[in-house]
Amino acid sequence: MASDDSAAVTDAVTDGSPPLEAPTEANSAAHSAAATGAPTPAPPVDPRTQLRLRSEGDYLTLLLPNPLQAETEGGMLSWGELIQQFKQRLHGSEPFWQPHTVVHLAARDRLLDTRQLQSLEDLLTTAQLSLKRVITSRRQTAIAAVAAGYSVDQLAAEDRLLQSPPRPGQPLAEPLYLQTTVRSGVEIRHPGTIVVRGDANPGSSLVAEGDILVWGRLRGTAHAGSGGDRDRYIMALQMHPTQLRLADLVARAPDGPSQQYLPEIAYVGDNAIRIAQAQDFARQHFNATLGQGAQPTDAF
Amino acid sequence: MTRIIVMTSGKGGVGKSTCTANLGMALAQHNRRVAVVDADFGLRNLDLLLGLENRIVYTALDVLAGDCTVEKALVKDKRQPTLGLLAAAQNRNKEAITPEQMKSLVAGLAKTHDFILIDCPAGIELGFQNAIAPANEAIIVTTPEISAVRDADRVIGLLEANDVKFTKLLINRIKPKMVQEDQMMSVRDVLDILAVPLLGVVPDDERVIVASNRGEPLVLDQQLSLAGVAFNNIARRLLGEEVPLIDLNATHDDLFSRLRRFFRG
Repeated sequence: MASDDSAAVTDAVTDGSPPLEAPTEANSAAHSAAATGAPTPAPPVDPRTQLRLRSEGDYLTLLLPNPLQAETEGGMLSWGELIQQFKQRLHGSEPFWQPHTVVHLAARDRLLDTRQLQSLEDLLTTAQLSLKRVITSRRQTAIAAVAAGYSVDQLAAEDRLLQSPPRPGQPLAEPLYLQTTVRSGVEIRHPGTIVVRGDANPGSSLVAEGDILVWGRLRGTAHAGSGGDRDRYIMALQMHPTQLRLADLVARAPDGPSQQYLPEIAYVGDNAIRIAQAQDFARQHFNATLGQGAQPTDAF
Repeated sequence: MTRIIVMTSGKGGVGKSTCTANLGMALAQHNRRVAVVDADFGLRNLDLLLGLENRIVYTALDVLAGDCTVEKALVKDKRQPTLGLLAAAQNRNKEAITPEQMKSLVAGLAKTHDFILIDCPAGIELGFQNAIAPANEAIIVTTPEISAVRDADRVIGLLEANDVKFTKLLINRIKPKMVQEDQMMSVRDVLDILAVPLLGVVPDDERVIVASNRGEPLVLDQQLSLAGVAFNNIARRLLGEEVPLIDLNATHDDLFSRLRRFFRG
């Protein structure tokens, strides 16, 4: 079975390529084709603008967003907002660490004062983590950290000019598993795959360099493959998104309430985002991988 | 153990202050010592709804300045002496007070009261941060409109992130007739999105406006209106009683509307 099984959702394509026609055989009435008003390219997203924890074997590293990077993207989040986002992530995520695991704080170029260090430590303590080491390239931050009694690694300042853009082909971070309702106003960014067990409500946004899997209702905005990888998928038990983005493509959901409550998958096909029912998609995909191999015949 | 409850919504005009006034009064009628705290500095109106405007001598700011004790600033209600109001200052704005000061104010009231209801201002800025700082429970007030529900959802997320663990939902101003005709979000639709326990549903009632203008909360009426009964039930649920939701459809579900529905399919 070919891809005419699925309905095209959008014709919004970047790079000025001509808008695609919706496949004429699109048979699913539940998602009639709906084009976005103006083709808007998805803005470049850097998942490092949020605080996140990374496992390093026997300890965790808490990565702070780099202020230089944030500056060039226009608009740095305030400390309060960063902490708020981090709290929401900590609340929702399944702890992948043992109690009393040691945390190293990678503060990079960011200036931190004693109060900010204290607020981080308080937050980590509630998650049963203990902050022990601060890695920074700023003298003031190092002094504040020493005064607060942490071990300090002071690195040479990163040169703005020598900073190379992230190399292509880097492995993605480990998946982020959230067990929560992602509510309006909450934004989850992750340089890997995001798995949500719960609903993503309208007004929320999920941005992942990998895939997005919502075991519940997806009603907010989801952006998979934010690093530019079109070979990514957005999967949901109920797909009612405000907007879907895959790499540089944008699509919005068809108007009108859908009566269909079947698991669906969004993927990129023919330069546009398409949605297929999960079961059909799996079958298609399976056939595709079989390629020219043996096909079951009527005899079976 | 004093229960410190913040009444919040995100969106303005959904009935936070009306609900605070009525719930405070209803709890006081059940012989609980209740303090209602207006956290809406600069735009206070809880005093109007309770009809206590002309009895305010000291405000929360006078307490913080050390001009009087918190007990002295509390305006006792003449109808229900177990109800007290701590008024906000009208001539200042939200920046006049910090979350820490709010905590200390409420801590001063906690010793002598069973319930403290904090009337939160609309929005999610400093006024909101102030109001939720001392609370350990929250009642989200929303109306069945998508803008109000969206804002409520955001506020629930913020409350979770700020360690207010017990959040319950109060759906205000529902019009059963419109719900039946599928023109308004139903209670189920709202719960579907917000996914928090339901505390109660208050029907839309014109008498609420009359009561507000008179400064006499609905629950004081001799002959309770449907909204008044709803508020009373919510107060009882807060006290731990199991009270079933009132059947809002019963009042106007007469033969005619049934026939109409029947013929419309």
